[in-house]
Amino acid sequence: MRKIGSKPRKKTMVFWFILPAVLCMLLVHVIPILWGIYISFLELDLYTITRWTQAPFVWLENYRQIFTSKVAVGERFLRSIYTVLIYGLVTIPIGYLLGLLVALLLNREFLGRTLVRGLILLPYITPDSVAYNVWRFIFQARIGIVNKYLLGLGLIQEPLIWLVGDRALYAVIIASIWKGWPFACLILLAGLQGIDPQLYEAARIDGATGWQQFLHITFPLLKPVSKTLLMLNLIWNFHAFNQFYILLGADPGRAHVPSTFILQEAFKNLHYGLGSAMAVVLMIVILILTAVSFRLRRGSSYEG
Amino acid sequence: MKVRAKLVQARPDVGRRAKRRWRKVGQRILLYLAVLLVVAYVMAPYLWMVSGSFKTTLEIQAADVTKPELEPRWIPRTFTLDNYKNVNKTVRMLDYFRNSIIISLGTMVLSIVVSISAAYALSRFDFKGKNTLALGVASTQMFPGIAFLIPYFILFSLANRYLGLRLINTYHGMIFTYTTFAIPFCILMLRNFLDSVPREIDEQARIDGCSHLGALFRVIIPLSTPGIVAVGIYSFIMAWNEVLFASILTGRATKTVAIGLLEYITAQQARWSGMMAACILVSIPVLILFTFMQKQIVEGLVSGATKG
Repeated sequence: MRKIGSKPRKKTMVFWFILPAVLCMLLVHVIPILWGIYISFLELDLYTITRWTQAPFVWLENYRQIFTSKVAVGERFLRSIYTVLIYGLVTIPIGYLLGLLVALLLNREFLGRTLVRGLILLPYITPDSVAYNVWRFIFQARIGIVNKYLLGLGLIQEPLIWLVGDRALYAVIIASIWKGWPFACLILLAGLQGIDPQLYEAARIDGATGWQQFLHITFPLLKPVSKTLLMLNLIWNFHAFNQFYILLGADPGRAHVPSTFILQEAFKNLHYGLGSAMAVVLMIVILILTAVSFRLRRGSSYEG
Repeated sequence: MKVRAKLVQARPDVGRRAKRRWRKVGQRILLYLAVLLVVAYVMAPYLWMVSGSFKTTLEIQAADVTKPELEPRWIPRTFTLDNYKNVNKTVRMLDYFRNSIIISLGTMVLSIVVSISAAYALSRFDFKGKNTLALGVASTQMFPGIAFLIPYFILFSLANRYLGLRLINTYHGMIFTYTTFAIPFCILMLRNFLDSVPREIDEQARIDGCSHLGALFRVIIPLSTPGIVAVGIYSFIMAWNEVLFASILTGRATKTVAIGLLEYITAQQARWSGMMAACILVSIPVLILFTFMQKQIVEGLVSGATKG
């Protein structure tokens, strides 16, 4: 009796439980994304936004502009993609290596290990706005400590300007490595703790050196976690915004990344259509990357 | 040769044993040095922040790396608490704190409610499109915030024009925005948590005559309190730290601390000492919440990454 009666009720129950989340997702993720794709075909700027329904539909004109390096916007957008690639190519490997080295260190027994493990999480949990503002202070030309020590060591003769011009990207890279490696370390440490200690014992009995143990046990067993980490970092790399916006200001000049450049183009120069087109391109790049990394991950799981 | 070397080593030999002990001591020292180096690297910016927050504005403005007598120092030349006392003087930091607290608390409550019900459905029911939904939830995290911001801004403006619903520069607009960005992670984390609560328990409650809703409130929620708290704290911290949306969608009435901090540096004046004091105050709630729930959040992150 009860079973028969409860079936349709159960269905409606599920519906009500899932509805708020689905509504949120529809309203906030699906509709805006579709809407954004639509906007990217419009010539929507300060003049047309007041009557946005009559904004001229210009097909791929916006896309043509952002891929033509002769147009100022196109050139700057392409450069921002180049910048974010360079940024990722430096920060991801260094952050990974640093995280791995410290994870290996923290996997050993020593006094105060728990305390140190908590301490190294600090950069990760500190709000971006706080961390990068402090680094902005550190990188100041006349009052910052970076220049103080560089001068003290005799590496430079006069204070360097860090946050404007060519060195701006280096400053952001240094600050974001400091902010980002604890996450890698946390994940790798969890991976290390999942490795059976008997494997090392067996290797030691066979006369393997520490380096050989790392190469043939630790590293292969960390591979799945490392791949996930790499994939997450690759995706997040293209989200990069806070570090550039806070350290370099709303207009990082030559060090623009896609997010800061789109923000400027859409909300300062009020070219919403153009900004949307760039956002769509950015999403496509991320989608391709995700698809490729999923393929890679699946490929590797057959091997292992 | 090798066998002989081993035999020699095995012989009890005082000198060798001492040597080995010294090598061990050396290794220990190296280990501690490395740990010290790591700790110094992590802590240096914090020490600089703390020391800066106790310096006078004059000291920082007068500092000059090229002149040894005016070099910026780690220990303040004159120690002052003015930066903390005057935190609200030039920048309306207390208002921003109030805004951030309202928005973050609202986000926390709303995302707990939404993600509990969705996680419960995903964990306990089988329905059509369940896997698609779970995948959809996970995949929204991969899109950059900037891709949502422009359509958001225009949708919000339209809602204002046609429905008279003000969303830009309002608390409810920001809470709504942040909730929807927090829930994907919250749902996945809570679902993992609910999956670990045995199904038999709520089935028992159902047999005892509880409705689904009753089972959820009387059994599931009390049993998954740690997970719910972790999810709440995650959403709170997320809303507290967010920069991109806050930079466009908040204004005078709703500006959050993350954006407010930027006001210490203007084209006319750089108030670094005030900013460092404010930075410390802004970090405190996050640090407290995190240490409170460190275990759950770290486990959630790690399991998310290792299960992929």
